[in-house]
Amino acid sequence: MSERDDLASTRHAGIRMSRRKFLITSSAAALAAACAPASTGGNAATSAAATAAGTPGAPLKLGQLLPFTKVYAELGNSMKRSTDLYLKLKGNKLANRPVTVIYEDEANDPQVGLAKTQKFIDQDKVDVMLGVVATPIAYAIRNAVDSAKMIYICTNAGGNALTRTTTDCKPSCKSPYIFRTSFSSYQISEPIGEYMAGKKGVKEVFTFVADYGFGTESQADFTTGFTKNGGKITGSLKAPLASADFVPFVTQLKAQPTKDIYSFFSGADAVKYIQAWTQLGLPAAGYKMNGAGFLTEQDVLAVVKEQANGAVTSLFWAVELDNPENKAFKDAYQKEYNLLPDVFAVQAWDGMQALDLALQATKGDTSDKQKLIAALEAVKFNSPRGAFEFDKDTHNPIQDMYMREVKTTNGVTVNTISDKIGRVTDPGK
Amino acid sequence: MTFEDALQQALNGLSFGALLFILAAGLSLIFGMMDVVNLAHGAFYMLGAYVALSVTRATGSFWAAVVVAPLALAVVGLAIEPLLLRRLRGRHLDQVLITIGLSLVIADFIRLRDDWGWGATVRALPFPPGLDGSIAVAGSAYPTYRLFVVAFGAGLALLLYVLHRRTSVGALVRAGVDDAEMLSALGVDTDRLFTLTFAVGAGLAGLAGVVAAPVFGLQPGMDVDALIYSLIVVVVGGLGSLSGAVAGSAVVGPADTFGKVLFPQFALALIFAIMALVLLFRPTGLLGRVRIGR
Repeated sequence: MSERDDLASTRHAGIRMSRRKFLITSSAAALAAACAPASTGGNAATSAAATAAGTPGAPLKLGQLLPFTKVYAELGNSMKRSTDLYLKLKGNKLANRPVTVIYEDEANDPQVGLAKTQKFIDQDKVDVMLGVVATPIAYAIRNAVDSAKMIYICTNAGGNALTRTTTDCKPSCKSPYIFRTSFSSYQISEPIGEYMAGKKGVKEVFTFVADYGFGTESQADFTTGFTKNGGKITGSLKAPLASADFVPFVTQLKAQPTKDIYSFFSGADAVKYIQAWTQLGLPAAGYKMNGAGFLTEQDVLAVVKEQANGAVTSLFWAVELDNPENKAFKDAYQKEYNLLPDVFAVQAWDGMQALDLALQATKGDTSDKQKLIAALEAVKFNSPRGAFEFDKDTHNPIQDMYMREVKTTNGVTVNTISDKIGRVTDPGK
Repeated sequence: MTFEDALQQALNGLSFGALLFILAAGLSLIFGMMDVVNLAHGAFYMLGAYVALSVTRATGSFWAAVVVAPLALAVVGLAIEPLLLRRLRGRHLDQVLITIGLSLVIADFIRLRDDWGWGATVRALPFPPGLDGSIAVAGSAYPTYRLFVVAFGAGLALLLYVLHRRTSVGALVRAGVDDAEMLSALGVDTDRLFTLTFAVGAGLAGLAGVVAAPVFGLQPGMDVDALIYSLIVVVVGGLGSLSGAVAGSAVVGPADTFGKVLFPQFALALIFAIMALVLLFRPTGLLGRVRIGR
């Protein structure tokens, strides 16, 4: 009998042990999973030596910090394609200097991003750095870039503070060495607020955004613009980033009476949101979807298609935009990759274009930083998005915002341009 | 919150719970039987979803994917268990490492297969025809597919219960959970039984991939999300038992949904808090068996 008890108690211990082991091992696993992409090495794309006529100048080294793993991987792919295409069309030279691009993976992690930036500074000694998709990473590398006096052109991250003067530089602030060829969240959120309350005469809006820095910022800027023109925000809701299930949130939208909804979501979240929106029958119940442009960019429309019909969003570019530069850009991109470019490709393209023009002005000189900064500040060109220039105070672009409505014709869903707000400048100083 | 809203949110929670059950059943089965924490479970789920995407594109039928994806994953499981896991039996940390490694390989493989229409872009599996609309529930439109998910989850639980309790294979599995050594000594080929179990577990992950993909979508990182949710479910419900997986998902699904409704900022914190409480007061999980003096 006592033997039985012994057996039983060892068994019991065995079960407890294995459970404890399970917990230890699974938390170890979670840790490892979280750290894993940090070890993903960078890949360098070295251009062939210049063989064109004329003596090539000293090699030019560019560092591109882009996401190649995790949720934003496709954005990084798109921006790399655009960069590679620009260089290919220029015979791999900018201002007669043969170009080497070193690509590193930002891995959607500020610590990784900072380490890779430090590598660009100390080890690779790049002449100019570009890239960064996630705003927290751009904020995290700001001080390193500034103190190394390395010119950095941000080609996506849109957090307002990156190009503004802020109290104690929190969470970030402008730097003479930082330029941006994408947008600030103010630019894609505030004008549409003014526009809806003003030109569209919308009285009330309910906001529903992703619960992270950028979503909150977009919501605040929209609210500023909308209330400035007499609109009223009736309520707000936030969804954690990358929520598995959007139906509970959209059920709540439907349970409140305000019909116009303003949203900031992108990528997979936008897809789930729009799908839940149609499944719960919000269009039929009279609800209208509005938002910052990423809500209905191509990656999203390719999946949700006509379910997004009627959504109105604001952005500085659309595939459908009719100008010669956009046409040339789309043709070249499609010819090379058999793909339509997206807005991220445009931002990376303009980063290269601005750098190219500035280098031409300095005759390829990157050693005199002040000269290169002045040259970048003076750059003006026609981008696929329309006229592009930097605001000299902030180094954020001055650009037009387009109001776009999603429409489906002959089975193809696109953002058709319904209106334009000219020359939007970030209010930062 | 009106009664209608509460009812709708309860349905949301129920259907989310049903998806979690389908997801966690395989993980729980493998752990209970083989004492292996299969951290590639999320990657199996992801692979199942992408296989379903390809099958649906090729055949135009969601239902073909419901059959093919679990079978494909079962085959993957059949290969992996004897090749990688068998020699690590009883070595928990090594198993963890090898299954994490496996999950990274699978996730990267999917990310790099642009040419198969996989890749790093967001993809969606369309709802099957007939289930893509909405029907009126308590006077408001409700997605048909989510009701189907509830029925499917319940059906699967019933089927697994019958297999587990009423068939000879089920009896062997139960015996294996209790004491694999003794079972082996009685002349049962436990290696084969383990391989089979692992294959069924992987197949269940694949099935979850198909059924959940129209709701959750396909994107990089879905494997980690799925793994975390299924770990929470099995910890809350109790490891290694079917009823534990049912109980875990019945708690976590509605808790997650009502958490999103009542205090959206803390929805994920809420389910982790539940997990912590369960660990404190019922360390074997809600329905985990405390086997003393049996």
